Amino acid sequence: MTTLPLFFLLPSILGAVLAGFVCSTMGTFVVRMNLSSIGYCMSHAAFAGAAFGILISIDPMISAVLFAFATALVLGPLSEKARLESNVVIGFLFSVMIALGFIFLSLKPGEAATGRALSILWGSLFSVNYDNVLLLSLLSFALLVFVIVFYKELVAVMFHRKLAESAGINTKMFYFAVLFFTGFAVALSLKLVGGLLVFALIVNPTSTAYQFFYDFKKIMIISPVIGILSCLLGFYLSLIADFPIGAAIVIVSATGFAVSLIVSPKRKKGFFLKSKQKLDSSYK
Amino acid sequence: MEKNPAIVDLHQVDTIYEGEKIPVIHDINLTVKKNDFLSIIGPNGAGKTTLLETINGILSYTAGKGKVFGKQIKKHKNSIRKHTGYVIQNFEIEPRAPFLCKDVVMSGRSGKIGLLRFPTKKDWDIVWKSMGLVGMIDYANRAVGKLSGGEFQKILLARALAQEPDLLLLDEPFSNLDFSARNQIEILLNRVHDQYKTTIVMVSHDLTFLPTRCNRLIVMDKGSIVMDDTKDNVLQSDLVHSLFPKGGKQ
Ligand SMILES: Nc1ncnc2c1ncn2[C@@H]1O[C@H](COP(=O)(O)OP(=O)(O)O)[C@@H](O)[C@H]1O
Ligand SMILES: [Mg+2]
Repeated sequence: MTTLPLFFLLPSILGAVLAGFVCSTMGTFVVRMNLSSIGYCMSHAAFAGAAFGILISIDPMISAVLFAFATALVLGPLSEKARLESNVVIGFLFSVMIALGFIFLSLKPGEAATGRALSILWGSLFSVNYDNVLLLSLLSFALLVFVIVFYKELVAVMFHRKLAESAGINTKMFYFAVLFFTGFAVALSLKLVGGLLVFALIVNPTSTAYQFFYDFKKIMIISPVIGILSCLLGFYLSLIADFPIGAAIVIVSATGFAVSLIVSPKRKKGFFLKSKQKLDSSYK
Repeated sequence: MEKNPAIVDLHQVDTIYEGEKIPVIHDINLTVKKNDFLSIIGPNGAGKTTLLETINGILSYTAGKGKVFGKQIKKHKNSIRKHTGYVIQNFEIEPRAPFLCKDVVMSGRSGKIGLLRFPTKKDWDIVWKSMGLVGMIDYANRAVGKLSGGEFQKILLARALAQEPDLLLLDEPFSNLDFSARNQIEILLNRVHDQYKTTIVMVSHDLTFLPTRCNRLIVMDKGSIVMDDTKDNVLQSDLVHSLFPKGGKQ
């Protein structure tokens, strides 16, 4: 396997670095804002969208983005109200999206078991091309600008949404910006990591970073570093052991999180007691 | 807009929570002038928090008219909020929250600084000054989650002060505090009221603890203002004794 020429692997390596960056940067917001279940739903919607794209023969990435956005548009306002319905709707949409994805794939004759179809499910080393890399680069750049330009607003919103609102920040705008960036991150990383597992790349590196730092700025820097390392290590693991890339990345990032739980300075006193407290219990 | 408008001016205001039918506060008439220092008192569930959040527009009133700084609350929410500090009730921070005290205090200013602007040295100076005012300057680089209840309350107050507010809304700022922390905050509020001519509207359900400079009490019960008078008059009234049978001690 390792005899493959580098230029052949280069788009995948770049893709892995960029996907790690965008997903785990969004993770810092998603985890803090308690949006995990929406994000999870969006990643499955992206999978259904990609399957739909294959069915009607358009670029699966476009339809993946559209499906993820549609989900954000439905779930965003619902969860914002923090009413009971949102959990019910999330559970409903989650299963519907998976089902739709499989139906779309099965409707396309001869497609269901092909590499292309499987790659949107659990990712593929070789499905990443330079177009993907370009899109991921653009997204990375936009995200970087967003975080730098709106850093003070983001910190205020992450600390406490109502207080941020009461200080004159339009928190709704940031809430939806986070959802839409997450939709892009999920949809564009889909080919590499796969729709079933891409959300782990959003949550795991951030959760690891949260174990070590009390400073939001440090988390914002370390989380993408962990995300990128997870992707590169997963990539290597996939190459040498012939694991599916998405699974390899998730195993690496989940192992990182498990280790961080054990060694975390934040949990020194009574790991089992404190681990029950939810990280974001005061976020409203 | 008239000259020297009242800081807060509510006229027959009702507020209904989304999805509910009955207004939680109703027919509220309230005028607060510049440099007033008043406390809203009343039993739990009387609608005190709802009234505060109607003033800064977090909740939208469903009837009547409301102005803050002479501007209509509904139309000018964000510009009103940039000059209005708010300390919410019973805010308990989770122990592992990833924020440093200085960043929390700065977050109070972020709306005022405005979009597409970075905090300048002047903004940081005001942050240091606010932290100094509450006596928490040594905690600047500490994690908020590790503070005691009283220390965190002071940081929240510093956060509101960093906004250099014209109007300060405080929701039970003395709850969760021990006696000495209460005293410190009381001294601080008196000083802010005196030196910066800040208008302060405070919610309290403990009659035994009202800052000395607070000279007006609003009594709320079941969503209405049932009394609005000087501190002495209210504290001596029969109404207060019936609403607070235990003398207002918690
Ligand atoms: N989000 C909400 N939705 C519906 N009703 C609410 C909500 N928040 C508070 N209430 C109700 O409004 C009433 C007044 O609440 P509140 O203003 O918090 O009282 P206080 O601050 O005086 O204790 C209570 O009966 C409470 O149950
Ligand atoms: Mg209250």
